[in-house]
Amino acid sequence: MHVMLMYVISHLGLIFFMYPGNVISSTEQGHWLPVLVGVVIHFIFITIYMKGLSYFPKKDIIRIYAGIGKGTAILFIAPVFLYFCMILLITLRAYSEIITIVFLSNTPLWAIMLLLISISTYIAAKGAETIFRTGLLLSLLFLPIIIFIFFTSFQNVDWRYVVPLDADFGFIIKRTYLESFFAFSGGFLFLGFVQPYFSYNRKYILWAAAFLIPFFLFSVYIPVLTFGQATSATTFLPYVVAVDAININWLMFDRVTMFFLLSLISFIMLYLALVSWKTIRILTHYLPSIKPVKLLLALSAAVYLSCFFIQDWKDVEKLFWWNTFLRFYILIAVPFSIFFFGRRIKRKGKNETN
Amino acid sequence: MKPINLKSKAPITVCLLLAMMTLTGCWDIRDINHRTLPVVLGISTDEDGKYKVFLKIVEPIEDNLEVKVVTGTGETISHAVDVISRNMETSVDLLHVKVIMIERKTAEEGMKDIIAGFMRSREVSPKVLIAICDQNMDEFFSILTESKELHGTNMFDYFEKNAGWNPEIALTRIWEVYRSIHSYTRDVAIPLLMTGETTTYKQVGSAVIKNGKMVEQISNDETLLFNAFNNESTHGQIEVLDHASVMIIGNSMDQHIELTDKQPFLQSRINLKVVVLETRGKTSSAMIKKELSHLLSGRFSSMLAKLQESEADILGLGQLYRTKIDRNELKNWRSIYYPNLKSDIQFQIDIQNEGYLKTT
Repeated sequence: MHVMLMYVISHLGLIFFMYPGNVISSTEQGHWLPVLVGVVIHFIFITIYMKGLSYFPKKDIIRIYAGIGKGTAILFIAPVFLYFCMILLITLRAYSEIITIVFLSNTPLWAIMLLLISISTYIAAKGAETIFRTGLLLSLLFLPIIIFIFFTSFQNVDWRYVVPLDADFGFIIKRTYLESFFAFSGGFLFLGFVQPYFSYNRKYILWAAAFLIPFFLFSVYIPVLTFGQATSATTFLPYVVAVDAININWLMFDRVTMFFLLSLISFIMLYLALVSWKTIRILTHYLPSIKPVKLLLALSAAVYLSCFFIQDWKDVEKLFWWNTFLRFYILIAVPFSIFFFGRRIKRKGKNETN
Repeated sequence: MKPINLKSKAPITVCLLLAMMTLTGCWDIRDINHRTLPVVLGISTDEDGKYKVFLKIVEPIEDNLEVKVVTGTGETISHAVDVISRNMETSVDLLHVKVIMIERKTAEEGMKDIIAGFMRSREVSPKVLIAICDQNMDEFFSILTESKELHGTNMFDYFEKNAGWNPEIALTRIWEVYRSIHSYTRDVAIPLLMTGETTTYKQVGSAVIKNGKMVEQISNDETLLFNAFNNESTHGQIEVLDHASVMIIGNSMDQHIELTDKQPFLQSRINLKVVVLETRGKTSSAMIKKELSHLLSGRFSSMLAKLQESEADILGLGQLYRTKIDRNELKNWRSIYYPNLKSDIQFQIDIQNEGYLKTT
């Protein structure tokens, strides 16, 4: 249950901001195809990943790789570690920028980043259980708001914008489309880290992933249906603008966007906490002599300070793009390798018993 | 109870104390009494192409709300607002602007940049209503300030659906205008207002906006049809005929479209439910039906002809043809297909009841 909720909310935090913009600008019509391709790839890889993990009961991926050999550990753990650091850096920087764009236009960036990183560091320092319990709390508090706003965002929809439906595969090689995969590949790795702490049923995770499909689809389609493709392609955060256009007379609050964004930002904080926790797990495995809390503080400080080297949004995009290669490596290599090693170990085990 | 170990809690305490600094929210804070929250923003351009911005500000003075209008000029709207803010003792905050008024002259020159600016800045919400002022803006606001019955939000109430809205008013928001700038198939109508003689405002019709530019004007009666066509409710609208006057209590619409060889054809049927209010002379219900349907379809065709000539698709007819025309061709909808559109519109009138009296 906890794992399932965590899975849902860490993805929700990622979906609604940059993902719609990336997909909308990747193709002119038939946006369902890019979304579908992404979702299918997502499903294939989490299935393989979980299947692979199931060969190693009660082991997280660090110990799996370390148990196989030094070479594999370097080949897989090092990129994962690097990837997590990049995610932390990019997420922190990008979301603080989004916060300044959307509502805190006068607040300096460093303060927002400090707030985000300090809270997530604190949660991460408390360990896995706290992260997952906070996940439960946050989803109880904010999931209803998000789902409510998600449904009200259909208010201005003009269904005739759905057509033309025919799509082609030209988007596959587009840079923006490849970047959009961060929404799919950002969250799933934690399934390999929670093993000793939480157990989960594979079926439920797949249900959680299925639950996310409408969000993936409509986060893209709501702006398209409200504004039309030509207009929504000109906006930076199409879904947020579409939510901004909602008008609810009976609600005493004028801007529902605020609630929506703050809920999502809290999810992002939790996501950051989760990623820092995973990074620290890797670090402590190789540096067992140093206390995890100290490592965590050092990591957060390093991430926080490196954020200052990113001057503007162009740099964020550049980093995003560089990280795309790493992302695809992680997305493909980790599930397959786990699956492959799992099969091998199973066969070995069989041979031994024979 | 375990004694609290101060040493182990120290780092967390420090962190929490540090967090307090950011959590107080005391950041460039401007209290509400130091903010000015205009309700209406008016924009006109002067001869040099500079924007002149009018802000209608509501000030609470001794249990009473007083309205004052301030102006400023600048190269951009934000600059003009900044000029006002500089000259005022409080800072201007556009967060609560509800209505934006644009002078007709400016709208005719094109307001693409103005609208894009509002969408970009996010200070003004994209759901702000927009209206065009059919009169010199200086004059408009000076009459408004003199007017006695002016409450704080009365211009907003004029448009609000649960207050003074009327089916003859085209309710259009900033994001819809922005959509029309980029969309291939969708334009909008914006109400044209001026100060009234006995009422505060008078609507003189609606401005037809194509790509952010005012290109045509339709009358109030035509705006009603526009609203009926877009399935906005036309409830309570009174139609006067030669022999009777009726009240519309419901509307719905069916459409059938065809496209043969770049020649779009539209067949639509608008169903209206009416109640008879008054009759003059000898009148039968068949006569009322016939007269009403004749009146409305005539009015509709003349409006459509006018719109086709200006190539502005405020009815969103292009939307209906999205299934038939592919996207690359759709770009030419306004210039090639739309002027050729042939339409056959029928009004199906149902007289729901005739009040306490019978008509023969």
